[in-house]
Amino acid sequence: MSRVGIEAMNVFGGSAVLDVAQLARRRGLDPQRLDNLLMREKTVALPFEDPVTFGANAARPLLDRMSPQDRDRIELLITCTESGIDFSKSVSTYLHDQLGLSRNCRMFELKQACYAGTAGLQMACNFILSQTSPGAKALVIATDISRYHLEDGADASAQDWSYAEPSGGAGAVAMLISDVPHVFRLDVGASGTYGYEVMDTCRPAPDSESGDVDLSLMSYLDCCEQSYRAYERKVEGADYRDSFQYLAFHTPFGGMVKGAHRTMMRKVAGVRGGEIAEDFERRVAPGLAYCGRVGNVMGATVFLSLASTVCNGDFDSPKRIGLFSYGSGCCSEFYSGVVTPDGATRLKETGIGAHLDARHRLTIDAYETLLAKSDFVRFGTRDTTVDQSLVPATRPAHGTGPRLVLRAVKDFHREYAWVD
Amino acid sequence: MVDMRSEEILPLITEAIVEVLPELDGHPFAESDSLEALGADSMDRAEIVMVVLERLDLEVPLVETHGPRNLGELAGLLSEKTSARAR
Repeated sequence: MSRVGIEAMNVFGGSAVLDVAQLARRRGLDPQRLDNLLMREKTVALPFEDPVTFGANAARPLLDRMSPQDRDRIELLITCTESGIDFSKSVSTYLHDQLGLSRNCRMFELKQACYAGTAGLQMACNFILSQTSPGAKALVIATDISRYHLEDGADASAQDWSYAEPSGGAGAVAMLISDVPHVFRLDVGASGTYGYEVMDTCRPAPDSESGDVDLSLMSYLDCCEQSYRAYERKVEGADYRDSFQYLAFHTPFGGMVKGAHRTMMRKVAGVRGGEIAEDFERRVAPGLAYCGRVGNVMGATVFLSLASTVCNGDFDSPKRIGLFSYGSGCCSEFYSGVVTPDGATRLKETGIGAHLDARHRLTIDAYETLLAKSDFVRFGTRDTTVDQSLVPATRPAHGTGPRLVLRAVKDFHREYAWVD
Repeated sequence: MVDMRSEEILPLITEAIVEVLPELDGHPFAESDSLEALGADSMDRAEIVMVVLERLDLEVPLVETHGPRNLGELAGLLSEKTSARAR
């Protein structure tokens, strides 16, 4: 049997976090609609954080636990992001350097909106399965940030877009892929993909996001159904209600997943009434816990949901998880894998929940100041010194290891430092 | 049911709205009403369209129902979709 999947994984949910209820009060958002988002906190990317620091901070704890021999078997590094910092040079080059990986390692970056992380995982798994380098490992790092800045003349009537601010997050998930899939064993070949061209959400210019909320939601729902139907055609006996003990969704915000699950249970599983809500609480809600504390982290989100499922679910025996990944534009995939009690124990030991608890809590005024100053490194910056004033205040708890920060940009080259 | 005129589809839309947003039961709907102005959030709007598609037994991707700005335009678009199916 082909064994491949996630040997180890870690989440980095940022250095600072904002309480979403506070933000909603400041913006005058309807509390009822806010509740429907199922968001508690959102990670805020600070001036000294970028996709490289997020990715490095997710990956380093994994690498620190490996022997030098094992680290040298990482022969493929894929970064998955829609927050790239250069049209040519990929984030993977900086991560390769900061993580001290072997020079005999293929590295590149992959883009397909929020689907990028799944694309990276599947490509890495295929590299392992191909056996072109027996015993090799791959490191997949999905890392994304969203920056919000108050623009003069912004359209205040763009009601739905104002609900994107509470859910836009920042974060990264690092996954070590190998033929010893301790944490998540992929069901090889059990996958349904569905994609077509659509202009729902995109990043058409540096440091900007654009989108149509309705179109994106409709496309997500279409893909949720069609990718699962494609899965069902490939996997004999697949049943939406019974084959998966848990479901992990790409989660732009929890309320959208709740709606998608309701639709799938009605249309695909033929379930009506109270059973849908009970099923949501049992199979889906564990995967939303971390997403509601970080926000949408684009390519990394479905794995944030996977980690949340494993850490908050009940794995007293091996359980199958169905994953749905969607990336605007669009490409989607429904696939599955198995988590054992040992895998759940290993992931819980990485202390993701404790890391999320320990993040610095920004006041709403501090957040507004950050927005107003817009003091982050813009795409194409040639030279700058990065404001480090929030580094001490957001220092991680003692014993959690060093954290990478962005110090400066010199002739377009980004300079970083590990700080304790 | 094959080719339906938009006047026949409009009542199905208002029924679907009340099904998704029960607080609008008894509300006087006009063709010029937008779902957003009626208080439907993005998930409600998608669900309303899904309910109507189900009643019409119409299998079209949701993205093809995107664009109408009010109930009348939505009814018109869905009428075109039923005509396309009838052909």
